[in-house]
Amino acid sequence: MLYGMFFIYPLIRGIGMSMTDWDGMGKATFVGLQNFIDFFHDARAIHDIKTTLIFALGSAVLLNVMGLCYALLMNSNFRGKSLARVIIYLPAIISPLIMGYIWFFLLQPGRGFLHYAFAQLGMTDLIGSWMSSYPSALLVLVLVNVWQFSGMTMIIYLAGLQSIPSEVSEAARIDGATNWQRFWRVSVPMLMPAIRINVVTNIIGSLSVFDVIMSLTEGGPGYATESLSIYIMRMCYGSRTGYSTAVAMILFFIILIPVLVSMRFTRQKN
Amino acid sequence: MKENKWGKALRILMIVAICAACLIPFYVLLVLSLNAPSRVFYEGSIFLPDFYWHNFIDAWNKSRIGTAMLNSAIITAGTLLVTIATGGLAGYAIARHATRYNKFVFGLLIGCMMIPGIINTVPLYVLMRQINAINTLWGMVCVCSALAMPSAVFIYATFIRALPKEMDEAAALDGCSPFSTFWRVIFPVIKPATASFVILNGFGIWNNYAQAVFFLQSRAKQNIPQALSVFFQQFAGAKWHLMAATAVIAIIPVVIVFLVFQKQFIQGLSDGALKG
Repeated sequence: MLYGMFFIYPLIRGIGMSMTDWDGMGKATFVGLQNFIDFFHDARAIHDIKTTLIFALGSAVLLNVMGLCYALLMNSNFRGKSLARVIIYLPAIISPLIMGYIWFFLLQPGRGFLHYAFAQLGMTDLIGSWMSSYPSALLVLVLVNVWQFSGMTMIIYLAGLQSIPSEVSEAARIDGATNWQRFWRVSVPMLMPAIRINVVTNIIGSLSVFDVIMSLTEGGPGYATESLSIYIMRMCYGSRTGYSTAVAMILFFIILIPVLVSMRFTRQKN
Repeated sequence: MKENKWGKALRILMIVAICAACLIPFYVLLVLSLNAPSRVFYEGSIFLPDFYWHNFIDAWNKSRIGTAMLNSAIITAGTLLVTIATGGLAGYAIARHATRYNKFVFGLLIGCMMIPGIINTVPLYVLMRQINAINTLWGMVCVCSALAMPSAVFIYATFIRALPKEMDEAAALDGCSPFSTFWRVIFPVIKPATASFVILNGFGIWNNYAQAVFFLQSRAKQNIPQALSVFFQQFAGAKWHLMAATAVIAIIPVVIVFLVFQKQFIQGLSDGALKG
């Protein structure tokens, strides 16, 4: 009941609203697919799709690669292992919004921590205004996101690695498999459930990214790093309620397609 | 597998480097929050603060972070209670009675797990305004509960399926209704499910910003991320010591909860995630 009222109902209502020119107050008129046509004629919207996709692709790939590397590094016994695990996971529990602000303190051109650190180390070449030009600002956002959530993917991969019985990889070694072969032929297929959950959650999370961009760049410079979720919010406050729900429907499909594809892909291999 | 000495040293070195990379931003934040207002950014030493504790008192008074913390706590506790109560019962029904209707509801919930909240936020805003739920904590609890519901039903259904049916039958013989069977017999046994659910969703609810931005705009009702973003926008780049001190206050509760429960936390995360 509750779920129906606060999730399903708005979802269905949204489909209807996406076809009107409602401004949130007055009367809504049916405009058919006009909102969708407007969307694809809006250069800002198209750019936002591009930003969202690049951000998501970069984040999802890097998060999984880093998470898996961390997990492989951590998958042995050494002193302080649980401490290291806690430290690496720590950033993931903090609100991405607050994380964005913390990185803002580090990255501000001319006065951020990294500026001073590089200056003191004499590496002045590395100093730049990372946040004020488009490709580098997007790169920074991806890296901050990856930095924050690698710990999360790591924990899941680590659980996956530990569920592989040691006899299996032992047997492969006796059969003469090299480390590399053992990794690809034995570990990766047995990690499929972990890969699947990580890839799917990362795709969903990064395609609907909102918090970290709001605090780190506010979508700037200009609208260069604005994601679709932020666009939806701004259109809603800009009294284009009908239009913003249309954008939400488009975002829904942008998320649905890669999720279904990656689920199919990881299932077949299993 | 035996590893040679250098391999092991290299491994440890890399892990130390990763840990350092994870901690440095927190350290920088701490340094900033302890700098005297007169100090400009990182002038002088970048690693040693002035230990100007007064920042925290200032930040606390000016940022209304206290109210926000209380609001966040109410929202998180309320949401967890509602979802555990309803999601637990729903998961029980779905796990025990494989009727067509239950299968349909379960499939629907799992499908909706894939949909992030932002998709339906705008129509939801309209609904919330009609029922006067904007800027109310109970409204926010409803929204967050709806967002966390699929996860709750899914986790409970998976855990309950693994329990023997004889437990229910024995309880029924003793005269328990299905309702009291769940609360008296099943629920105490599946504490790990509850732990897993709380861990997977608790922080997300506490940190929620994408929904708070829409539904909690009044200053008296804002939650932590919302309060922080309003406070930061006020200063727009100046007074870093106060901004940093507020951020430190804001993250202290989560960090403490995490450190206290870290064992259960990592266990619950591994359990919950891999069952999916």
